[in-house]
Amino acid sequence: MQILREIVNYVLNLGAPVFVPLIMLVVGLIARMKFKDAFSAALTLGIAFTGMTLVINFMTGAISPAAQALSQRTGITLTAVDGGWPGMAAISWAWPYAFLLFPLQIAINIVMLIFNWTKTLNVDMWNVWSKIFTAVMVAYISNNLILGFVAAAIQIVLELKAGDIWGPRVEKLTGIPGVTVPHHITLLANILHPFEIIMNKTPFLSKKIDSDYLKDKIGIFGENEVMGAIIGLLLGFAAGYSITNSLTLAVKAAAALVLFPMISKLFSQALSPISEGVSEFMRNKFKDKEVYIGLDWPILAGRSELWVAVIITIPVLLIFSIILPGNAVLPFAGIINLSFVVAALLLTNANIIHMIIMGLITSPLFLYAATYFAPYITRLGRSVGTVSIPHGMMLSWSTFESPDMRFLMAQSANLNIWAILGLLGWFAMFYWLYKDIDRQNKEEAASELEPAEESDAS
Amino acid sequence: MAKIIVACGSGVATSQTVASKINKLLSEKKIKSTVEAVDIKSLDKFIKGADVYVSIVRTNKSFQIPVINGIAFLTGMGQDKEFEKLVNAIKEADAHKAG
Repeated sequence: MQILREIVNYVLNLGAPVFVPLIMLVVGLIARMKFKDAFSAALTLGIAFTGMTLVINFMTGAISPAAQALSQRTGITLTAVDGGWPGMAAISWAWPYAFLLFPLQIAINIVMLIFNWTKTLNVDMWNVWSKIFTAVMVAYISNNLILGFVAAAIQIVLELKAGDIWGPRVEKLTGIPGVTVPHHITLLANILHPFEIIMNKTPFLSKKIDSDYLKDKIGIFGENEVMGAIIGLLLGFAAGYSITNSLTLAVKAAAALVLFPMISKLFSQALSPISEGVSEFMRNKFKDKEVYIGLDWPILAGRSELWVAVIITIPVLLIFSIILPGNAVLPFAGIINLSFVVAALLLTNANIIHMIIMGLITSPLFLYAATYFAPYITRLGRSVGTVSIPHGMMLSWSTFESPDMRFLMAQSANLNIWAILGLLGWFAMFYWLYKDIDRQNKEEAASELEPAEESDAS
Repeated sequence: MAKIIVACGSGVATSQTVASKINKLLSEKKIKSTVEAVDIKSLDKFIKGADVYVSIVRTNKSFQIPVINGIAFLTGMGQDKEFEKLVNAIKEADAHKAG
């Protein structure tokens, strides 16, 4: 036992860029990959970690001095640098227990399909990272590993139930039949739902807007290099930098935002043989059953409403980060706010005005969650071994996904009675959302059967 | 050599998953090509240098180059047919370049 513990400690002390690839190699060989392929995938994972460390360090190195100058000059203290979801995904994969979340998700999905508790077959293995992330946050805050896994398990169940109600919506919005988006990002619909009901009763909010045209006009501001350069330049000016230094910061910021997805891609490249294998195994197992195939949210990315709403909320998030009392996060790599928009798109059936309002009202929620979770994200980042976060600075994620659910889960795991009541209320709201969308789906299906009815051809 | 692009929300996860799968299928058939995952927000920029576009979304836009349905590679449904279309598009692009 002593020897085993020493071996485990030795392996963990090698640091994530070494031990996670080792785990990956073993998993690959168990999954009967050829040694050459398993080795190559494992090495790619190590490269991804090393590359992500470089980019995070480059970003904090460029942004931290500016954030500190800003604070000295104006008193606005934004001490948490925003690593966005690519940064969060990277440090999540580095958690020693990360790979256990694969069997957990697969097992829960299989059981729920067998007992007909869901119609969704989730083959999106990339987003296992979001369950890892939940587990880490809850485990860190409650000091209880088991509760971390319980929280992740609850998230998996909720995602599958959400997949069931979004299936018909996804088909309506994209024209792709038989698929759905069992992603926890859509669970924000839970707290947006009451707002949607109120807005539906307000006639002038349902005005049609040509979002294709708008996207053509403002789409450039959503491109990584342009967005990075603008934020870098503004930050430089706000920090009292000279023109030269501000322009340098602009180019560095643009470089960071362009490099993030390039490195992040390596993670999915390394994981794709496993995810392909699992996905095929699951599909074969349930090939005679009528299911929705659960995919990642970008199948909705063809809707221009989504991008218009995201781009309009970029300056909103920046302004809120300055004026909100107590906020510690400087929005950067996570500023493309997908964390509200996917839920808003599905919930409102792509009503662009409703979506933008939802982006405005939820911005503070993301920033406060980002501030609350920043110390724990920083701890995870440091435990990865190589991410250097300057003293007095933190790492966070400005558009922290599922802020409501994760906060309530973490505090409930801490046995905070208000949080437990809040979480129960949140589950009740999910039940209400589920019933309401299910009813709407059935009504829409019924009206499509009546040819005389006018149809919405959007 | 034909260049294939796959686009998704950020050019990271879904697009790379599809790109890796296509890469594997093509190398099994010994067809040489480059497959790249790109960010859909910058699609107009990337499409200029590409020969085939694998899309995981439905759009009403029309493109100068052949478009393949990438969803098939994620769900497995209709994958053989889409892959055949892809192979033909690559052959056509290669022939065009050679000639």
